[in-house]
Amino acid sequence: MPLEPTINAALSDLFEKNGHETVEPPVLQPADVFLDLAGEDIRRRLFLTTGEDGRDICLRPDFTIPVSRLYLQRGKAGRAAKYSYNGLIFRQRPGHSGEIPQAGAEILGMTEREQADAQILILAQEAAKAAGQKEATIRIGDEAVFTALLEALGLPIVWRRRLRDLFGERERLDKAIARMAGDGRRSDENMGFLAALEGADPDAAVTVVEDLLSIAGISTVGGRTAHEISERFLEQAALASGVGVSQGAADTLTRFLNISGPADQAVEKLSEFALSEKLNLSVPLERFERRIDLLRAGGIEPKNLSYAADFGRRLDYYTGFVFELHNPHDSGGQPVIGGGRYDLLVRLLGAEKDVPAVGFSMWLDRMNEKG
Amino acid sequence: MSDDLIIAIPSKGRLQEKTHNFFARAGLTVERPGGNRNYQGRLKGVSSVAIAFLSASEITRELAAGSVHVGVTGVDLVQENISEPTEKTHLIAPLGFGHADVVVALPKAWIDVSTMADLGDVASDFRAKHGRRLRVATKYVTLTRSFFAAHGISDYRIVESSGATEGAPAAGSAELIVDITSTGATLSANNLKIPEDGIILNSQAHLVASLTAPWGQKALDSIEQILDRVAAEAKAHAVREVRSDLPISSLQQEEIASTFAATRPFGGDGGIIHCPVDNAPALASWLRQNGAATVSISALSYIFETENPLFQPLADKLAV
Repeated sequence: MPLEPTINAALSDLFEKNGHETVEPPVLQPADVFLDLAGEDIRRRLFLTTGEDGRDICLRPDFTIPVSRLYLQRGKAGRAAKYSYNGLIFRQRPGHSGEIPQAGAEILGMTEREQADAQILILAQEAAKAAGQKEATIRIGDEAVFTALLEALGLPIVWRRRLRDLFGERERLDKAIARMAGDGRRSDENMGFLAALEGADPDAAVTVVEDLLSIAGISTVGGRTAHEISERFLEQAALASGVGVSQGAADTLTRFLNISGPADQAVEKLSEFALSEKLNLSVPLERFERRIDLLRAGGIEPKNLSYAADFGRRLDYYTGFVFELHNPHDSGGQPVIGGGRYDLLVRLLGAEKDVPAVGFSMWLDRMNEKG
Repeated sequence: MSDDLIIAIPSKGRLQEKTHNFFARAGLTVERPGGNRNYQGRLKGVSSVAIAFLSASEITRELAAGSVHVGVTGVDLVQENISEPTEKTHLIAPLGFGHADVVVALPKAWIDVSTMADLGDVASDFRAKHGRRLRVATKYVTLTRSFFAAHGISDYRIVESSGATEGAPAAGSAELIVDITSTGATLSANNLKIPEDGIILNSQAHLVASLTAPWGQKALDSIEQILDRVAAEAKAHAVREVRSDLPISSLQQEEIASTFAATRPFGGDGGIIHCPVDNAPALASWLRQNGAATVSISALSYIFETENPLFQPLADKLAV
């Protein structure tokens, strides 16, 4: 669908009025950055080529990463900046054009996070209207509440990380939670040995296994040290013998992930959950509530926001608030706008500290279809 | 000539030899005038067939592009090198050679890893501990990506490797590999093991049809003839003909069908029975117990039937 020039003009007016500087990051980007940040899965969607120095180069597959790189190149990390963009991204899509028009806005370095979150969602909604999507249903989520819950439950660090890694993909997350609680326990040939070590001082047990590996002439294998292998081997032992994570913690996680509803009720539901589970989630919940209040003040009715506790983005630089705008006439379809908070990205790109960042991208080719 | 059926077969090595044997069993001789330097040949016995001698990777490419109608190649190469393989190709039949598995293999010393789920944990731990992703050396980039995605593993990077992949972990250029193995001996010699659920694909050589090629009536007729003979040979290969002087009643007919999976293709009350190879001796005993004086068992060369189980599915797919 060719975009009318008036839509581009309306968007650029809107972004300018809100203080977002228009940027044009390079089309050619180092492929490594995207593969490192988004994982191998993205490789098949990249348009790849090789530079004269032999390095892999790709056509930009999104704007958030190139805009963040631009932010870092232009000055000190941590400074406040508001950007907007409008151009093509390039992704291999069988049967479809690889050129996809996108526009969007980012707020970097603004430390009042909830304020920035609310600002960006309000801007996203106005941008949707400017692009012809008069009505949109809005989904929101907040990974920060999930992260805080993992901590409050006192889960082992490794499991906190693994579950966080899977947040946003409910099915896989459920499987991992079941595995953490000892589902599908193995009874393999190692079990006898593991049982013998059960209850031993953890450090001493790691040393025993490490010694055994070193007797076998193994120090570092395939990049993992004998110590690492021993540690995880014994963690398996703990899981197998059922002294790992309790079924109770797994059930609590599932109850949390099942919470959903309009955002005005979500605040209550989440508080009730924390109270009945006797967990201290006050910090993330206060922030959640403050964000909702700011949205209401900005003209977005919380009852029109649909919240789900398990809604998130699998990319691990997304850390908190996420949202999607959908065409109400195309329920279950892909979002017309996707956005969220990615506080870890700028540091992963080379900054020395985390830089608060939130933004959104509009799929201009999906706007107002059947709407 | 231009609407001839074009069959691509491997241009050298054991695969070529076995492909020739496969066609020979069906009474079809691959002719390569001028020997190994000639990259075009004919199939003696069937008219309007051109043979193209190509390398294994060329065969998958030409199948996808539709410049050959049929090719002999491994399923691993079809899955790896053709995007949307089920849209573009149709597996006509396995050929019984070129067996190999595409597997995940990792250091034996990783005693804490015995399943793909374990590997997923390690991948996530590894990134947190070492600040970089686990590296997988392979030439099967597509297969690796979809298999790892199916197991929910995303914390890894692929290092493309074209030869001696199994040496990568020892050399330090990758932590684990995805590679092809037929016996596992090479993996074992390199101190690598396969996780319980780490087999990505059981591959063997197949007769593969291109669904993107221009299939004219002439090409269809030729492939039907060829598959007719291949199917007739395969069917004959699997059964024995058991003859005796015992008239078979309808009751007995049911009994031999259920006990020996045997059929009487020519009907009547006479004693010509077709029976799966393994059941033939037992059937002979049964016939004698029931009064047969003499029983003979012989191998068959071809069994032609009305239905062609190899051609029909291809015709159906091409008709869509």
